[in-house]
Amino acid sequence: MKIKPSSVLSFAASALLFLSSIACLVLQPDLIAITPLWEFALAVSILTVALSAIINRIWRLGPSKVAVLSIDLLYVLAVFMLIFTGSLGPGFEIRSPLGIGASFGFKLVLPFLVLVASILTAKDSINMLYNYSQKGKQSLIFLAIRLSAVISLLILGGILFIIVYKGIWALSWQFLTEPPRKLGQAGGISTAILGSMWMVLGAMIVSAPLGIGAAIYLHEYSRNVRMNRFITIAVSCLNGVPSVVFGLFGLAFLVTHFGISLLSGSIILGLINIPTIILTSQEAIKSVPNSLREGSMALGATKWQTIKKVVLPSSMPGILTGLIIGVAKASGETAPIMWTAVTFTATPVQMIYGVIPNVLQPVNNLDYHLLNLIYFLGAWDVEKNAWGTALVLLILVLTTNMLAVLVRSYYRKKISW
Amino acid sequence: MDLPRSSRIQLQRRYKEKFVEAVLFVCAMASIIIMLLIFFFLVREGLRAFVDVGILNLILGQKWHPAGDIYGMMPLIIDSLMITALALIINITIGLPLAIYLSELAGTEERDILKPAIELLAGVPSIVYGFLGIIILVSYLQSTFDLLTGRSILACSILLGIMFIPRMTTICEDSLRAVPSEFREGSLALGASSWQTIRHVVVPAASSGIIAAIILNIGSIIGETMAALLVVGNVPRMPSPLFNVFGQGATFTSVIASEMGEVARGSLHYQVLFAVGLVLLAVVSILSVLADLIRARIQKKFGGY
Repeated sequence: MKIKPSSVLSFAASALLFLSSIACLVLQPDLIAITPLWEFALAVSILTVALSAIINRIWRLGPSKVAVLSIDLLYVLAVFMLIFTGSLGPGFEIRSPLGIGASFGFKLVLPFLVLVASILTAKDSINMLYNYSQKGKQSLIFLAIRLSAVISLLILGGILFIIVYKGIWALSWQFLTEPPRKLGQAGGISTAILGSMWMVLGAMIVSAPLGIGAAIYLHEYSRNVRMNRFITIAVSCLNGVPSVVFGLFGLAFLVTHFGISLLSGSIILGLINIPTIILTSQEAIKSVPNSLREGSMALGATKWQTIKKVVLPSSMPGILTGLIIGVAKASGETAPIMWTAVTFTATPVQMIYGVIPNVLQPVNNLDYHLLNLIYFLGAWDVEKNAWGTALVLLILVLTTNMLAVLVRSYYRKKISW
Repeated sequence: MDLPRSSRIQLQRRYKEKFVEAVLFVCAMASIIIMLLIFFFLVREGLRAFVDVGILNLILGQKWHPAGDIYGMMPLIIDSLMITALALIINITIGLPLAIYLSELAGTEERDILKPAIELLAGVPSIVYGFLGIIILVSYLQSTFDLLTGRSILACSILLGIMFIPRMTTICEDSLRAVPSEFREGSLALGASSWQTIRHVVVPAASSGIIAAIILNIGSIIGETMAALLVVGNVPRMPSPLFNVFGQGATFTSVIASEMGEVARGSLHYQVLFAVGLVLLAVVSILSVLADLIRARIQKKFGGY
């Protein structure tokens, strides 16, 4: 491939425009300093694109290419002229167009126009670099895919980074070990952490036997295909039920019997977890090869003995992964327990005989604590504590999830049939 | 008993086997029973709302005024539809290229790091997303578009769109990788470029998986509660003009979550909120069944997922 300096130059100019305009859209700095640079880069890209079009003798490739190219160039020229003549100056604003209650100011419109211009010139210069071949199209699209992958990873990584960066300053030994005081403005979150842990433990006690049992039945016992299909559909339905609907269900059904209590919350979170556990356990049991079952049966073991001694132990890693994911999922739910299990005033979990928690009392919960702190944001100075709570919650959920990933990859290496 | 010892043990064993099977059967039926119980309780609590307000009035009514006992779900339906559509657009435009990148372009090592990391991110609790949305996104929109309040339909759409990227990416990536490599090799051997292979062979072959992912995501976007509650503004009125995404709105979930805490048990408002929950549940259940049917089709087609 021949290197074409003009196309490379125009691509570099449009890359510069692209990055700077995105940065300006996100960070919203004062644009006065950067507009001359944009003017220059736009001028460079117009000239180089036009130059390489002439060098490549683009008119030989058909009128449609020429039309597209000239429309692109006209657009870029228009943006350049808007900046150059000063009609798109700092005072520019489109106020409430079409009756929408929003206005589009200079700081928003200019970077956006430049962004579009940069995308257009980048497209044209890559196309001309490859002489409008299929290869050019492919590298253009792969560039776009790579770019959007990078952007999405930046967004997701940025979310984690911000929480860690802001929350780390709120963390201290006191914060983790003291109960909240003055409606969360002072003190820590110890009761919330303990309450969350007990509730998740209760949820696992409810969901683990039901989920694993159902998975065993579906894969080992059930011979009725239609029935199996029916149960599978019910499981995926249950998996999709919005968490707030579970909250309504708990309010109508459980609260009337058990009151607002740890027990109601545990049962509801357990029900939410069942589909996750069934699906992961089913996968795990499915991956146990039939030869193991047949070997056990041939030795005279009954079906249940085979399951208990052969199938379950060898599918344990997968089932364990499912349980751990369930723990993470249950500790991140807020909506289902809002009306059924929690209270905001600091309530330690009371113990009966020092070991069994009193399941009929409401408890504190990390998610609900964070929700209330968010509600207080404008009124009181709780932002620091809110970041701290968010970080603790995130650490709890992500470390349990990471544990699941580690368990899976550890056993995947170890077990091989 | 004068049966010989061995046959007595055999009998005991058989009873034990039967007993275990029965217990496991009950476990398996639990999901169906729970599903039915949920429907039963929502219908029981919400039915009177449909009778008292009237089905058509309740669903097509244009006003939601709990103070005056006026309940119409139309604002909620319109807002939810707008949010779902916008969030889905954001979700697909970012999530699908990421999935294509992971399954087709990235190297093995890169994928081995990125895939678990993205799966990990799917576990971030929604309340944390809501918190970030309120602190960062809402104030950004407020200053950028010079809004009265940044809590808006747009904020909710962006937040939900970003929130479900990991789920979109994981499911799409799984179904892209489930496409047998013979397909790719065949296409490449015929002289197609790798983009042509992806565009005309891999993506169409994985299309049912991608569609299942999209349907599942529609369900989760409609059903997401905490993040929506915090950034949507909770003003249940029709957007005016209809395409105004910068105004405050309310979704099914946010209305239930914000108003249920204050209503008296058994009042009309309480029953109406259950009716809203019932509509939500019906919509989401239909979507789940649809996604499941599509997934079953894939399994038939490729024998795996």
